[in-house]
Amino acid sequence: MAQTDSSAKEEVKETTTYAPIIAFISVQKSDNSVDLKTTVQAKIRGTLTKLTGLKIEFTVGTDSTVKKLGEVITDSRGVAILNCKPGQLTTDKEGKLNFKASFAGKDSIESAEELVSVKRARLEITPVKEDSLLTVKVKLIDLSTGTGTAVPETDLGVFVKRMFSALKLGEGKTDEAGEASIEIPNKLPGDAQGNITLLAKIDENEVYGNLEAAVTQPWGTPVSDELKALPRALWGTLPPLWMPITFLILMTAVWGHYIVIIFELFRLRKEEPKTAP
Amino acid sequence: MQLNSFQQKAFDEQRSHIEKFGRRSWAWTIFFLLWIIVGGYALYLQIADGHIVTGMRDNVVWGLYIANFIFFIGISYAGAVISGILHILKVEWRKPIIRIAEMITVIATMIGPIFILLCVGRLDRLHHLILYPRLQSPITWDVFAITTYFTGSVIFLYLALIKDFAIYRDAKLKVPKWRQKLYKVLAIGYRGTPSQNKHIAISTNLMAIIIVPLAIIVHSVLSWIFGMTLRPGWHSTIFGPYFVLAAIYSGTGVLIMVMWVYRKMYKLYDYILDKHFIYLGYIMLVLGAAYGYFTFSEYLTDWFGSEKWNSEVIHKLFSFSEYGWWFLFANVAGILFPMFIVAFPKTRKPGWIAIASFFMVIALWVKRYLIIVPTLESPLLPMQDTRLEYVKYSPTWVEWALTFAGIATFFLGFILLSKFVTIVPISEFETKEKVEEKTIVPGTEIAQA
Repeated sequence: MAQTDSSAKEEVKETTTYAPIIAFISVQKSDNSVDLKTTVQAKIRGTLTKLTGLKIEFTVGTDSTVKKLGEVITDSRGVAILNCKPGQLTTDKEGKLNFKASFAGKDSIESAEELVSVKRARLEITPVKEDSLLTVKVKLIDLSTGTGTAVPETDLGVFVKRMFSALKLGEGKTDEAGEASIEIPNKLPGDAQGNITLLAKIDENEVYGNLEAAVTQPWGTPVSDELKALPRALWGTLPPLWMPITFLILMTAVWGHYIVIIFELFRLRKEEPKTAP
Repeated sequence: MQLNSFQQKAFDEQRSHIEKFGRRSWAWTIFFLLWIIVGGYALYLQIADGHIVTGMRDNVVWGLYIANFIFFIGISYAGAVISGILHILKVEWRKPIIRIAEMITVIATMIGPIFILLCVGRLDRLHHLILYPRLQSPITWDVFAITTYFTGSVIFLYLALIKDFAIYRDAKLKVPKWRQKLYKVLAIGYRGTPSQNKHIAISTNLMAIIIVPLAIIVHSVLSWIFGMTLRPGWHSTIFGPYFVLAAIYSGTGVLIMVMWVYRKMYKLYDYILDKHFIYLGYIMLVLGAAYGYFTFSEYLTDWFGSEKWNSEVIHKLFSFSEYGWWFLFANVAGILFPMFIVAFPKTRKPGWIAIASFFMVIALWVKRYLIIVPTLESPLLPMQDTRLEYVKYSPTWVEWALTFAGIATFFLGFILLSKFVTIVPISEFETKEKVEEKTIVPGTEIAQA
């Protein structure tokens, strides 16, 4: 048995720490609020893993003007979203919103932060119906100077909200007046009343980041949300009627025979002579 | 129970078989039990580690177990159809062999479904098949059909045994008391009165009438699991009659083999005569010809149609680098060899017929394997990024061990049953004054003891 050295140093336990990767975007809405969205992941044992249960702090401003907007815990998908009201937001001298998403660190996960800086802007969507032609007029307004200035030459897309995501209907570029007009198809399936939600989006613009505007119009065809029972079919929940009928007839016929036979055997047993040896 | 002279002779010659469990029986029992123990260990591994210990993977999801299931359910038709039809037609020569046929039915129907259980991944959800049946599925039909068929075959066997149980009850056999009591219970008070005989006759006739269509429906349902699946090599309209025919054919072969073994083991040459082998041989010849016709029709249709996926399966079956040799064996040993053996008088003898049956039964097992595996290896959608070992099926030792355990259980069942009841029914001779004479069929010889 080896003798332990009294001056033996304590074993240094090496713990593995992981550096989180924060994907951070801001989405400016048409009501002048801003959605701040982070997705937090880390490479654990070679696989990119979403991190849940982490507290993400959102702030706006720089240096002395930093203002805390709120804290959100990442969900099961590693996503944390905070909606900021217009009153909470402060721009810098250039009219930019400087957001920061930070994670203070926890257990084996290191701290991290990510910055997003966007100019204040707003996307407006206006539905236009002329006879049977349906269009939406989308306008991009720069709010960084305080007075709204139209922004030309900016790519945008128009979508319709579907059950799980948005379906692209068209795209365009804003003109001198900062407007783009995109045609909407007729007879898009809507909800039970025929309403459809149209979205105008600008994604990953260098200056303004992400912008969204939405409007709901009764331009779709009504689709009943009533759950109709599937008809009886080979592929349905219930079989065609002839199937259970045939099955019952066959089972009854065969097991009926068995029952008659069992009955005969009971009678045979009953008829055993009393004077049997 | 009063026995006539011939019943007494038949009983006296067989009573020692049910009174004693001789050394030879012990040796065979231990031999089969060892196989079952090995199978038990394989089963433990399969339950503990999952189906990864088998060769089944994403593409070939069925293999040896399903082939065994179809095989055993198929051979069970020996009793149902042969004894049922021969009973209805009142064919006298059936009497010494129907018990063997009915035993095959019951034992095979017990073992076949066990292979399904081995194939099922979630046995803890087995009761869902009954609680939440999907009536549109052929698998649901199969569950109910096989359960009904097994019940019917047990009743059929029992009906034929009642009179013999009464004989054993009254014979004061040198058996343990529990067995004497069991014979008494199973005899259900039968004393041979005219009204009791009438009840048995009604029951047996009813059962014989119902068992034949039941057997046909059961195996048709089993065939529809394949025939109604849209896969090359499976989706065929003739699968119903094809499977039924193959079942009766293989059942006849097993019946001949078991007859030969029992005749030799228990010296039953006075009862299981040469003519039984020859008549069953004729049945085998006719069934073999019909089975050959169906086989030819099935593959000719697929080959001529030249549909892409069907052609792939045909190519696998005819290519000697894949399944060609097995396919050749299945058809030569399964169809041509038995037909030639029975066709020629020189080989139309019990020994030769038993050998032909042996090869035929193995060939039909191979055929069931060839129905299942090559089709599963030929998927309708191209497989991408799949390992080669996932594409080709290769059974593991676990599957082989459980297969042989099932076969061992099958034979063990016969050994145990033959120690409980006489192989040749004693009571069947009551309507005739003498046993069947040893008739010499031209071109054959009487087997020597």
